[in-house]
Amino acid sequence: MAHKKNRNVAIIGVGQTKHSSHREDVNQPEMIHEAVSAALKDANLSIKDIDCIVHGNMELFEMIHQPDLWHVLGTGAYGKDSIRITTGGTVGTTLACASDNLVASGMYDIVMAIGFEKLQEGHTTGGITNMADPLWFRNLQTGALTGSTAYDVIQEFGEDRAKRAAMMYRIVMDKHACLNPNAHRAFGLDFDQVETLMNTSPQLVGELRLIHMCSQSDGACAVIFACEKKAKELSKKPVWIRDHITIHREETFNIFGYHKDFPVLKTHKFAAEQLFKRNDIKNPLEYFDVFEMYDPAAWWGLDWLRDFFFLKGDEHLRLVENKEIMIGGSMPINPSGGVIATNPIGATALLRVAEAALQVRGDAGAHQIPKEVKHALASGFGGTMWTVLMMLEKELSW
Amino acid sequence: MEYWGVKVEDIFDTMNDRFRPEGAKGVTAKFGYDITGDGKWKIIVSEGLLEVIKTDDLSDCAAVMVCDGETFVGINIGKVDAANAFTSGKVKIEGDFGQFGKTAKMFKKYVPKKAAMSTRDYILDMFGTLVSRFQPQNAPQEAVIVYDIGGADGGVWTAYIKDGKCELKEERAEKFTVKLEVQEAKDWVDVMLGKVDAFSLLSAGKAAIVGETQLALKLGEIFGKYQDPMASGTPEQELIVLKKIISVDQKFSTGPVMGKFLNALKEKKILGNKCPKCGRIQLPAREVCAECRVRVDEWVEVGPKGQVRYMEYVYYASPDPLTGETRETPYGMANILLDGCQGNDTFAHLIRRDQIDRIKGGKDDVSGTRVRPVWNEHRTGSIFDIKYFEIDE
Repeated sequence: MAHKKNRNVAIIGVGQTKHSSHREDVNQPEMIHEAVSAALKDANLSIKDIDCIVHGNMELFEMIHQPDLWHVLGTGAYGKDSIRITTGGTVGTTLACASDNLVASGMYDIVMAIGFEKLQEGHTTGGITNMADPLWFRNLQTGALTGSTAYDVIQEFGEDRAKRAAMMYRIVMDKHACLNPNAHRAFGLDFDQVETLMNTSPQLVGELRLIHMCSQSDGACAVIFACEKKAKELSKKPVWIRDHITIHREETFNIFGYHKDFPVLKTHKFAAEQLFKRNDIKNPLEYFDVFEMYDPAAWWGLDWLRDFFFLKGDEHLRLVENKEIMIGGSMPINPSGGVIATNPIGATALLRVAEAALQVRGDAGAHQIPKEVKHALASGFGGTMWTVLMMLEKELSW
Repeated sequence: MEYWGVKVEDIFDTMNDRFRPEGAKGVTAKFGYDITGDGKWKIIVSEGLLEVIKTDDLSDCAAVMVCDGETFVGINIGKVDAANAFTSGKVKIEGDFGQFGKTAKMFKKYVPKKAAMSTRDYILDMFGTLVSRFQPQNAPQEAVIVYDIGGADGGVWTAYIKDGKCELKEERAEKFTVKLEVQEAKDWVDVMLGKVDAFSLLSAGKAAIVGETQLALKLGEIFGKYQDPMASGTPEQELIVLKKIISVDQKFSTGPVMGKFLNALKEKKILGNKCPKCGRIQLPAREVCAECRVRVDEWVEVGPKGQVRYMEYVYYASPDPLTGETRETPYGMANILLDGCQGNDTFAHLIRRDQIDRIKGGKDDVSGTRVRPVWNEHRTGSIFDIKYFEIDE
């Protein structure tokens, strides 16, 4: 049974900018405008057709209050209904969820979600660190940089295998990024570099090395959502949103206990269980054709496969070791190159949805996966322990 | 006469465009150029301004350079080695040799129109202009920086910084503060031209930093931005980036629960509060259990000793957001299971820096390294009433 009680919603247009460490050639509204224009062109619409705009980024990072107001020239939101959303790393998927809800509710027929970030214009680590308790944890924490997952995976699978698997994951993402002309970092890494990079890439925190960590990018993404009637009229290839879920829990104080008697509730696992259960999906690894995952670091990407797909033992490691996560594999992860390659935070999670939609349409270009994509999954992640999952479908068939 | 397709006049005609006022700081002088067979020129430098005239009267110049056209053009376009030309007597300086040396910093490299600069040209120009780009106000008192640029177009240079002065030598210093190793000269050129960011090179293992990483990350401030000589001449839209550092006073109220917790630190006591529903002890104490959503009002004194469950071994020199000070690396940020706590009830704090290599994390029923707090003599009710934890031996 479908979770949605009201109208069906489809994605009918996506647009993104070229992502880079320094988009000094444009200011914020101009950069946003690039993505907006691209999405409108993709949907063959003009800004007049948009009923409402949902705009989001992390205000802490650029130190700008109410960016939705002064980005109006870039977003085209002048005179329109508009909403601003900030939920951290998950901003992008929250924008997509909110847009879906706004259309499904019947309030609007066509909604445009816009996520953006110009990370080079602020101080990301400073911004993230400032989210912690100023009286206690802020002096101690390291922003988004943590070696804890690497520590866990190494404890469980041994140093050599764990480090190799994480680096394999990293290199697969780089190979994908090299196929994506919009990706920020595309190094041209090869599998014979696994050993070297495992030992030479500079260490940030424990075994989290510079090469494992996501980029700091500038960029924007825009996605257009329409009701079933409009989507069928306007688009030859609407991508249907089947369902989405958001799960989050308390801040990070109490998750480093490491005792078998006190298991930590993982939001990814919980979100996936709830979402798949209510959509009657028993084996997600078989059901989905592609997964655009919010993977802030190679260690996380590797580890999280287990949570999202209900894998046991070392199945997630084997998926990576056997290159099943590559574009031609059984479960392609991030054909776009993922967050490790491209991370303009407010846009990042929306890019996951946009890229998943392109895969369903068959319009991803050089990084299109070779088999037909009927069912796609996209995720968002952010502090403090947020998970957002969105399911996209080629057919309105559930 | 043309040499390699360039006339002597071309060099002088473009001098105004290539003039770098910052390289002529404090220089007020006239310099003459007697180019045998091609003519004589005089340049007048005064208060950051430049005038170039063709004249036969070089009598009032502080120094005059005498050489033939081929050598002159050759030096300017990098075909003739300047030092060799001086040593072999092909170039002579009449008058104040020291004064004439100042002209080296005043001009950007001459680039023949439309011809592209090779990677080697760029590398030579980048190091040729390094000293003139030196910003003493941003530099440390003393440092030795080795640039080891690999590939056929590369080379090894060492910049010696001391007391506000910078000297560059084409040599490899054995003792250095920091060494930059770049595998391919082309990559370094791309970084300097802003086409690739340095972090990407480091990430991809195409470059490495040996020694003081923090100093390497500051190189962009110690040396001014390299200007692409190929970008000059053609008028382009100027894109400006304004850099601001803001400082904002902040204050935070503790509230009664955090207040009680912080106050206890003054008495060398660590207080947690215990959730009546799930039984966990929150550290630091908070009013509500975020898992159970119930009020937590039972106070428990825990520790102060405990065992390390997990430690973040931090190499990244992140700034402390409350002070703006960059932290000394590496440092250990540990989650400590204080005596009296269980499961996930850990307490975050620092480990004595010289002991971080000896810390072992615990798991399940295996205990981690035992640690004890080191208290500050003067305690104010803050996190740093505990300086750090040290191994309890």
